[in-house]
Amino acid sequence: MKKFLALALVLCMVLALAPVAKAETGSVYWLNFKPESDEVLQQIAKMYTEKTGVPVNVVTAASGTYSQTLTAEMDKSTPPTLFIVGNQEGVKTWSEYCLDLTGTKIANELNTDAYNLYDENGKLCSIGYCYECYGIIVNVDLLEKAGHKLDEITNFETLKAVVEDIHARAAELGFDAFTSSDMDGSSSWRFTGHMINLDYVYEERAAGKVWTECPATITGEFVPNFKNLYDLAINNSEFDPATFAAGGHDAEGEFKADKAVFFVNGSWEYGAVSEGGKNVAMIPYYCGVEGEEKAGLNCGTENCWAINANAKQADIDATMDFLYWCVTDPEASRILVDSFGVMPYKQAAASTNGFLAMANDYANNGCYVMDWATNYQPNVDAYRAAFVSALNAYNADQSDANWEQVRSAIVDGWAYQYSQVNG
Amino acid sequence: MKRKPYDLRKGPIRKQWWIFLLPLMAAFTIGFVWPFIQGIYLSFCTFTTTSNAKLNGVMNNKAFFNNYIKAFQDPTFVRSFWYSALFAVVSLIIINVLAFTVAYFLTKELKGSNLFRTVFFMPNLIGGIVLGYIWSMIFDGILHIYGKTLVTEPVWGFWGLVIVVAWQQIGYMMIIYIAGLQAVPNDMLEAAKIDGASGWQTLWRVTIPNVMPSITICTFLSLTNGFKLFDQNLALTNGLPKPFINGVPVGQTEMIALNIYNTFYVGNTSARGTAQAKAVLFFILVAGLGLIQLSATRRKEVQQ
Amino acid sequence: MSQKSLAKEKTFKTVLSIVLAVICILYMLPIGTLIINTFKGSTYVKSETFALPNAQSFVGWDNYVKGMTFGNYDFWKTVLYSFTITILSSAMILLFTSMAAWFIARVDSKVCRIIYYLCVFSMVVPFQMVMFTLSKTADTLKLNTPWTIPIVYLGFGAGLAIFMFVGFVKGIPLEIEEAAVIDGCGPLKTYFLVVFPMLKPTMISVGILEIMWVWNDYLLPYLVLDRNLYRTIPIHIQYLQGSYGQVDWGATMALIFLGIVPVVIFYLLCQKHIIKGVAAGAVKG
Repeated sequence: MKKFLALALVLCMVLALAPVAKAETGSVYWLNFKPESDEVLQQIAKMYTEKTGVPVNVVTAASGTYSQTLTAEMDKSTPPTLFIVGNQEGVKTWSEYCLDLTGTKIANELNTDAYNLYDENGKLCSIGYCYECYGIIVNVDLLEKAGHKLDEITNFETLKAVVEDIHARAAELGFDAFTSSDMDGSSSWRFTGHMINLDYVYEERAAGKVWTECPATITGEFVPNFKNLYDLAINNSEFDPATFAAGGHDAEGEFKADKAVFFVNGSWEYGAVSEGGKNVAMIPYYCGVEGEEKAGLNCGTENCWAINANAKQADIDATMDFLYWCVTDPEASRILVDSFGVMPYKQAAASTNGFLAMANDYANNGCYVMDWATNYQPNVDAYRAAFVSALNAYNADQSDANWEQVRSAIVDGWAYQYSQVNG
Repeated sequence: MKRKPYDLRKGPIRKQWWIFLLPLMAAFTIGFVWPFIQGIYLSFCTFTTTSNAKLNGVMNNKAFFNNYIKAFQDPTFVRSFWYSALFAVVSLIIINVLAFTVAYFLTKELKGSNLFRTVFFMPNLIGGIVLGYIWSMIFDGILHIYGKTLVTEPVWGFWGLVIVVAWQQIGYMMIIYIAGLQAVPNDMLEAAKIDGASGWQTLWRVTIPNVMPSITICTFLSLTNGFKLFDQNLALTNGLPKPFINGVPVGQTEMIALNIYNTFYVGNTSARGTAQAKAVLFFILVAGLGLIQLSATRRKEVQQ
Repeated sequence: MSQKSLAKEKTFKTVLSIVLAVICILYMLPIGTLIINTFKGSTYVKSETFALPNAQSFVGWDNYVKGMTFGNYDFWKTVLYSFTITILSSAMILLFTSMAAWFIARVDSKVCRIIYYLCVFSMVVPFQMVMFTLSKTADTLKLNTPWTIPIVYLGFGAGLAIFMFVGFVKGIPLEIEEAAVIDGCGPLKTYFLVVFPMLKPTMISVGILEIMWVWNDYLLPYLVLDRNLYRTIPIHIQYLQGSYGQVDWGATMALIFLGIVPVVIFYLLCQKHIIKGVAAGAVKG
């Protein structure tokens, strides 16, 4: 009895420790970083498994926690086989873990190399699986209800006139100019990750060359222009800017409920905001820069697949097959394209995203594309955290001293974080 | 007890050490000893994951104490230390004064004391993360009226945290004080009364000296709790606001545990070694406080 | 004592009771606020925090439904895992540490003392010290499921339990155990039939402290558990906080409330033991 009991106790411990036996066939583990596409990816994974029997496991990190989740998962015995390396900083950190995709069957399906990311040795670390555009989303019907036309707006001056007119008559119209601009984690990236891109892009244009790696410092020459647009957005909504720090508003909900005309966001919102046949458009970040009548939308991507080079060969092969299927299978690519907007692959389904079509129209009309220079933000999470904090202080009290803090977070923050990463 | 333990010491029990000790020791090694040793080792390494750690000065050409030097040079770390210290002391005073006061009145045979005790203890059962969210809703709800928020005003962030922690811990400390107060010998109190001592005199001369052990325990519990605070800090302000001070973004309400967590997981991956070094320093600090507590209670025991 | 001063004391006590009752009500206000906000739409939580739900803000049970269904992860699973982890961990800690503590206290050899001091030492080590390495170790050894994570809790939480049990065992007179041995009981039988029942008070206080710790713990399970498959209630709440673009405060509050209910029921059922246990444990510690 004694012996039996003792044995049982020890057995319990041993059993608990014994590794779980695993099948030899490969499997796919996709560590996804966009919570909003989780549902679709789960559906795709299920489809693939039903079709081929290969297990596909899609895990989504909680928003804002991708890099820490990836770090923790990479250290585990069953690391992700497919993960996201969306910018140069990611390449720097994860290049050791990235399979060289040059000449692979998935890379051969690409119809552009615009969204490929290479490390310093020229290894193809990750490839774009979709691209996006962002700018200011406009509810055209409401705009016309307020007595304005979309083609009235061609630069900051005209945008400002329209916005301020709508805001002044908000009570009478029953809707306001801009949606809320919350600064909590779920919404602040629309400004600290997107709108600030205008400063970076115009700095690139002023210097006459596109960044290919993270610059050590930025000048902040166009931060006043960022301020123009930012002020316009926060001061012409239904809400007191001081309340944005706490969050709790619902910008998308306001836009969908016809409570605001302008909504700072991107192409991934197309499905949601065009629901019910709403007439929507997207305009560039007009901010008072000379010649901005020729500006286009901000196009680029941070959605790039990387395959884990340290995974088992069977898993790597399975992942490769899965990706190939994603971009070539008509049914699968249809579902993915409807969710992602567009996939830059030869055999992928055609895009139905109205905003991406507008981005193309701008480009075809000779407007310059604003590239995603924001992808170079050094130590991105820390950089944006300090940026948000400065914006919070400014929202509460729009003084020059507080704006100086914002400028400092943008410019000095860049230099500081760069030195942290590279020092 | 001077007598040596009986024959169990040499008897069959020793042969069965593996039943009694082994399960615990195995788990203890896995859950504590090994991670602890590895943690100390990593504090001298450069790494992104545990599998690619390189010992500084041996496997690369960095200084051996590189991570420690960086930790001390990091103004956010030094600040978070002082901030934690300030917080620990302030919360210690507030919690203990209030808990003692409540406990003192609750031992006065009041109507409904049991109900009061139950209510005051309740917040202890709620976890830190959840507590942080509940209170951030409440604070924002109040500050909203004045057009302010918790994450823009460091002062509110500080007192907000104090209120949350006080709300949570007063009940716990109160229970300890009640136990201490009930152990105060009744005849001493009677004697004081007969001698004509006033309520205050009795409190200061008789009651407080007698509950000294409880006071020691509660003081150190709230002190170490204050230093170790993480969940509430994360959920309430997450260290915000973060203005630039001499070119460095410094979280104004970031406590030491959150600072380490952020260095590990939010900052750039090259700072992981620094984070581990910070963790070791943090450990030394908490262990130091623990030692002081131990020696303080020892001294008390000797006196008794 | 004169009639007058007795009467004075009586009024004083009544006033005190009333004052404390008011403080108690204030003390429970955060919970009340939480409950009313679980019935409000997300955008009203932070702007009309203290108002009762009105025709505009009232959303019925929507927040509960959303909280329980969001993100392709069944809420009942998080409840199940939270319960599993809490019960298994506490049970394992109680059984194994009390056995080890008895052995340590009775055998009292050099090795035992070393183990004892190591355990006491582990009490002061902050979790941040081992968080990075522990999650790696736990993963390698497959301690990342609700059925095996209790081993991690046993290891990391052993300190306090060992400390309290050893203190208690040292206070038990040897005679009873000696009698059992003379009657022919082996060590295991002696432990389970004689020592175990005597440990009951400490069992309760240690058990309660461990249950409160494990149920509410966020960081350890977050870093250790296999996130693909298992979430506890606090982890689930954190996920709801940062997903789908907009923080749904209404649903968050509903989930928080659901997470608190089991603990509060547990507390109300055994509050006598809990309060006694805390007092006893703390005085020993």
